[in-house]
Amino acid sequence: MRYVKWAFWITFWVLVAAFFHYTLPQHDIARITDTYERRIDFGENSIFWASPDVGSDGTLGNRDVFFIQTVQPDGDVMVYRNEDTGWGWPPYFKFDTSNLQAEAADLRSTSASPTWVSITHYGWRNEFISIFPNAVAVKQVEGPEATIIPWVNIIILTLFAALAWGLWVRWKRFRAARIDPLVEDIGDSWDAAGDRMNERRGRFSRWLGTWKKK
Amino acid sequence: MFGFIPVFVVGFAVLTLVYVIVSFWSRQVRRGKLKKRWESEGRPGDRETYVERGLAEYDDSFRRKLILLVYIVPLAVIVAIIYAVNYM
Repeated sequence: MRYVKWAFWITFWVLVAAFFHYTLPQHDIARITDTYERRIDFGENSIFWASPDVGSDGTLGNRDVFFIQTVQPDGDVMVYRNEDTGWGWPPYFKFDTSNLQAEAADLRSTSASPTWVSITHYGWRNEFISIFPNAVAVKQVEGPEATIIPWVNIIILTLFAALAWGLWVRWKRFRAARIDPLVEDIGDSWDAAGDRMNERRGRFSRWLGTWKKK
Repeated sequence: MFGFIPVFVVGFAVLTLVYVIVSFWSRQVRRGKLKKRWESEGRPGDRETYVERGLAEYDDSFRRKLILLVYIVPLAVIVAIIYAVNYM
């Protein structure tokens, strides 16, 4: 029972952490090497793609998606998609996809004369199911060592921690007041039943004993 | 263009539920406080009429209108996000 409980809570918190890791904005310092669009035929990875441009027909099975190719200061590459989230999930309310693509194209640079930018994005890159983080904003920074304080994440995670703590404290109080006395009650009657059984068994074995040869 | 309609319909329904719950809860808290105050003031007159008068006062108060923030705050947050993401 103890292990089931642990497994449940570990799974729960891993899912919560994964949810926040996917949804909350993150900042990457990178150098944009190219911007392009290509057609995507959504398949089993369709949940990891956002919505078509707001106002356009969203019923078709495929569409062109903007991409931004980047190189990070350590030499790794990262490819971002650039899609509207519109009024859907996650609630970034991003409608300016084409403008963002124009800004990103303007900030392209070569390794000989790099222009470093901070790319705000959410989502994951996974090569095995072809998913890409969605870029939300690009902003030029002075160099590859620029630090960005994630205020939004600090605020949201603090509020979430406060909420989780508040619920936990109330649950503990409720349990101490209402459930623990009940369980103790059940425990008491369980013990009483056990005593009665012992007594009975005692009587039975005493009775058996009367048949034994003295 | 009209993609915002589902968001606003569902949001309005959920926030209305929150509004109703918070209203009842706040009134209940107020009632408890009035009962305590009635005792600390040396039990002036009938307790029920004292509490009812206090609640009638609360119904017209600015404090109660603050519960409308249940609607205003999420709307303000959405407007702020739209501005920050698309125009900043």
